[in-house]
Amino acid sequence: MINKIKASTSEKILFVFLILLIIFSFSFVFIIKNKCLFIENIDPKKINFKNPSNIVVMNIECGNVIIELMPEMSPNSVKRFKYFIKKGSYNGSTFYRVVKDTLVQAGDLEFGNIENINYYKVGSGRSMLGNLNSELNDNYQFIEGTVALARGDEFNTEDSEFFIILKNIPLYTGEYTPVGKVIYGLDALKKIKAGNKSEYVLRPDYINYFKLLR
Amino acid sequence: MRLLVVLLLVLQVNSLQADEIFNLIKIPNLEVYKIDNNQGLKYLNSKQNFIIGVKNNIKCEKANKTNLANTFSIIERNLEKYDAKFLKKINLRFIVLCENLYISEINTAGIPDYKKRTLILDINFEKKYFERVIHHEIFHLVYDSFKEFFNDKTWSDFNKKSFKYAECSTCSDRLNLDLYDNTDGFVTEYSKSIPSEDMAEVFSFLIFDRINLENKSKNDPILLNKINYIKSGLDKINKL
Repeated sequence: MINKIKASTSEKILFVFLILLIIFSFSFVFIIKNKCLFIENIDPKKINFKNPSNIVVMNIECGNVIIELMPEMSPNSVKRFKYFIKKGSYNGSTFYRVVKDTLVQAGDLEFGNIENINYYKVGSGRSMLGNLNSELNDNYQFIEGTVALARGDEFNTEDSEFFIILKNIPLYTGEYTPVGKVIYGLDALKKIKAGNKSEYVLRPDYINYFKLLR
Repeated sequence: MRLLVVLLLVLQVNSLQADEIFNLIKIPNLEVYKIDNNQGLKYLNSKQNFIIGVKNNIKCEKANKTNLANTFSIIERNLEKYDAKFLKKINLRFIVLCENLYISEINTAGIPDYKKRTLILDINFEKKYFERVIHHEIFHLVYDSFKEFFNDKTWSDFNKKSFKYAECSTCSDRLNLDLYDNTDGFVTEYSKSIPSEDMAEVFSFLIFDRINLENKSKNDPILLNKINYIKSGLDKINKL
């Protein structure tokens, strides 16, 4: 006859601890590590836009980012930006440069695509369409969500690269060409992977697709 | 693997510089002090020491908040002498305020950078000269922006034939900034260094102490020619 062995108190504590450890590990892998968990993915089809021809949709890991372009502000720059979007040039473009809680930058068509990213040259690529003249406006406020064309140290060197600011940066007024404003999806942008200590990111997040609404 | 290590080292070097101000003017450790929309000037102050320059030859220290508060009104008052249009023409956008500014181990009141549209000012510079020297540094931006209106040779020809400038602004010991009692073609000892410094000195007195300068020029034909040359250049800029 086998006597039933009762678990001691310490064995019970150990058992509970193991159960908690399993629950924690499970939560960590499937819930906490999912950085997009609490991000609402906006479906642009469910929204009525005043001027749909100026709306573009960028899809990234945490969902859609909906941007309203400002052709009246920067006509040539918006025209170029739209051209690349329509052509699908930005699909796969990496956010190779991320300043945490400040800005994300993508759009290097030559060296910044996820398929063939070149870490040494990313940020220096050109589109073959040549430089654009800066379209600056001393009255436009660079508020959170502003989308602007990146440039070199000098003006009139804009091409395909763009950045989106994640906080108000009044200093940028009159310094960069604004092309649009994020109207939905800022939270998704804030989840883009940043570098550990650098503004340049190894194995960066990227744009799944970028398209015109119409 | 080796490539990855090199890359990581490169990225590590950049790590301190990742902010929105560095993106613009390539000076680290700055924060916004004031943005003046009327003049289009953006004042920044150093929140930590910084070292910049091709050979790391420019150094400046963190701006003490009290010093900054005391000196800022002086700087602002002097820069308000220029309108936004003029400042745009001479490519001045950012004023960086820090303490104990050194270039190649020499203490200096300011360092203008036409390409970066920046003027770095040492808020600790000797009070006696500080206000006037702001205008001196402004002239360097004027000079760099409009070299066609401020010609070294034409300027040098105003001087007596026996006079020769130094090879460079810091190549001589002619560094004193006090206004001469007897000008004899030069407003200060530093004027005798190189033509552009001479022009900057005349310009600074023209802006800061105009009446005194013009009085001195009544008995100094060389100085009078120099003043007229600066005024003529400024007129041409204003007409653009």
